[in-house]
Amino acid sequence: MLPWIVALAAVGTAIWHAVRAYQAGRDAYAASARAELADRQARAAEARTLALTEEIRQLAEKRIPAAATALSHRAAPVPGLREAAGVEGDAARLLTDAVQAARTAILEERRRVDAAARAAMRGTSAKIQSLLNQSQHLLQELQHEYDDPRVLQLDFRNELALRRTQATAVLCDAWPGLARQNSSLVEIVLGAQSRVGGYERIKVANHLRQERLALVARAAEPLAIALAELLANATAYSHPDTEVPVTVQQAAGRGALVLVDDAGIGMDDDALKRARALLAGPSEVLLTELGDPPQTGFAVVGRLVARYGFSCHIEPSPYGGMRAMLRIPAHLLTVMDDDRTLSVLAPAPVPAHPDAPGGGATDTGPAADSAAPDSLAPDSLAPGSLAPGSAEPVATTGTDPTTGTDPATAARDSTGPGVPEAGTPALPSRRRRARRATAPDGGTAARTRETGVEPDLRTPEQAGASWAALQQGTLSGRSASAPSASPSDDQGDDET
Amino acid sequence: MTPGPGRRLIPAYLVTGGRSTPSGPALDRLAVLLRTDAELPPGAGTEQRRLCGLLDPGALTVVECAAHLELPVSATVFLATDLVASGHLRARPPIPRAGEIDRSLVERLLVGLRSLH
Repeated sequence: MLPWIVALAAVGTAIWHAVRAYQAGRDAYAASARAELADRQARAAEARTLALTEEIRQLAEKRIPAAATALSHRAAPVPGLREAAGVEGDAARLLTDAVQAARTAILEERRRVDAAARAAMRGTSAKIQSLLNQSQHLLQELQHEYDDPRVLQLDFRNELALRRTQATAVLCDAWPGLARQNSSLVEIVLGAQSRVGGYERIKVANHLRQERLALVARAAEPLAIALAELLANATAYSHPDTEVPVTVQQAAGRGALVLVDDAGIGMDDDALKRARALLAGPSEVLLTELGDPPQTGFAVVGRLVARYGFSCHIEPSPYGGMRAMLRIPAHLLTVMDDDRTLSVLAPAPVPAHPDAPGGGATDTGPAADSAAPDSLAPDSLAPGSLAPGSAEPVATTGTDPTTGTDPATAARDSTGPGVPEAGTPALPSRRRRARRATAPDGGTAARTRETGVEPDLRTPEQAGASWAALQQGTLSGRSASAPSASPSDDQGDDET
Repeated sequence: MTPGPGRRLIPAYLVTGGRSTPSGPALDRLAVLLRTDAELPPGAGTEQRRLCGLLDPGALTVVECAAHLELPVSATVFLATDLVASGHLRARPPIPRAGEIDRSLVERLLVGLRSLH
């Protein structure tokens, strides 16, 4: 019995051992598997951390700086994640968010700095502007007191400086800094012309049907500033030998149109796109976006366009360079009061091309420019459609071109009545009209001679000749009758 | 901050056409301008027509023309010099102010006249 029990126990023990060994083996296997897993996971985690660190480094060293650069240079590339697979979706999204946040912060800061810079420049330019205005007043007084042409030059320099300052102020969101009365459109164009270096190259052609067409007070100076910038561009970017034709005309929709052409170098597509974006009148123009040195011209026009409701468009010109079209809407236009006289310098509304005289010359004028885009052709239609109070001036100025007279005489006629109107009431005029009418009837030789212009101006030679004739006559008469008198006559001759 | 009122719109220097001095002998402000018979070319500027129109009835001095044209004398001189150069105007130097007559000259003239007898 006992051996059986012992054997059973041994078998039992053996089985138990075997089971334990098996279990131990299994446990060991599981443990090693777990260890391996843990090891792998640790390695994977390390790799992820490494990748994330690399991504963060990429973020700090490449992505954020690149994003900042891209804000000012649109073409600059912004790199993304180094290995998109190496980081989880969440981390990748957060990293991209970081770039975005940095970008927003930079934009905010840039706007703030720009606004501060603009405020500083606005203050300075307003101060300079008022000083320049004062010196302009002084220069004008000097001009009327002294005849030195250098005062005129000084005035011109002052005006150039004033334009720069004013443009800067406008760019910095300042008020144009000047209140005007309703001002004639042609005078505004001339005013803008006078603010530009090389103004002598600018030829203004007046195609207005309504000579006294004017801008309402609040838009007068802004238009002058905008136009001055366009003219400055046209003169600056074209050869000094070429002319810059400016055409002022009334547009079909009761508005007016000023065309500035130049025969310059034109613009490439990028520049044109940028300029058009600026001219469209964006709500904010940052100084930092204008380049170095800043290209302020179109930006200034854009500011004014946005604020006053002009519109401006540029396109390649038939003259070879660029054509800028400034359209003034009807609600900014009016007609000047009759008691205001136009400046002497304002070009009379005559066709720009005197070789195309006669009926409807004002209409053919702009068409002769073209090559002009067909959108402009109907601009010269619809006569007299401007303002209700404009009937008489339209009638007087409108007849000249339509009667088919020679443009020269037409121009004389139109300026003719203007002369007494402008001159006589204000100033005491010393006219010889009355006296000269009676003078020939007086009949003396001297007075009749005075009317003919030619003998009136006696040159020293003529005077000498007539006196010589007199003297010779005296001499010959004297030598015939009393030869003894001649020495004393010589004496008198020497002294005179 | 705001500038003074009434900034002029059209400055006088536009007449000079960018030149620093007139293109001819300098005219005195009292020089007398006269119109010649020459017709202005059709391309002439408004200011030239106005000046010629002023002088059509008779002669005026430079300073008077300047006042009529509402331009400074210096600018009018540019305008007038151009028109003189192109033969549309004539300029006569100003009539000199009457001065004290040289007494000895008169005496000698008297002697001369007496000796004629």
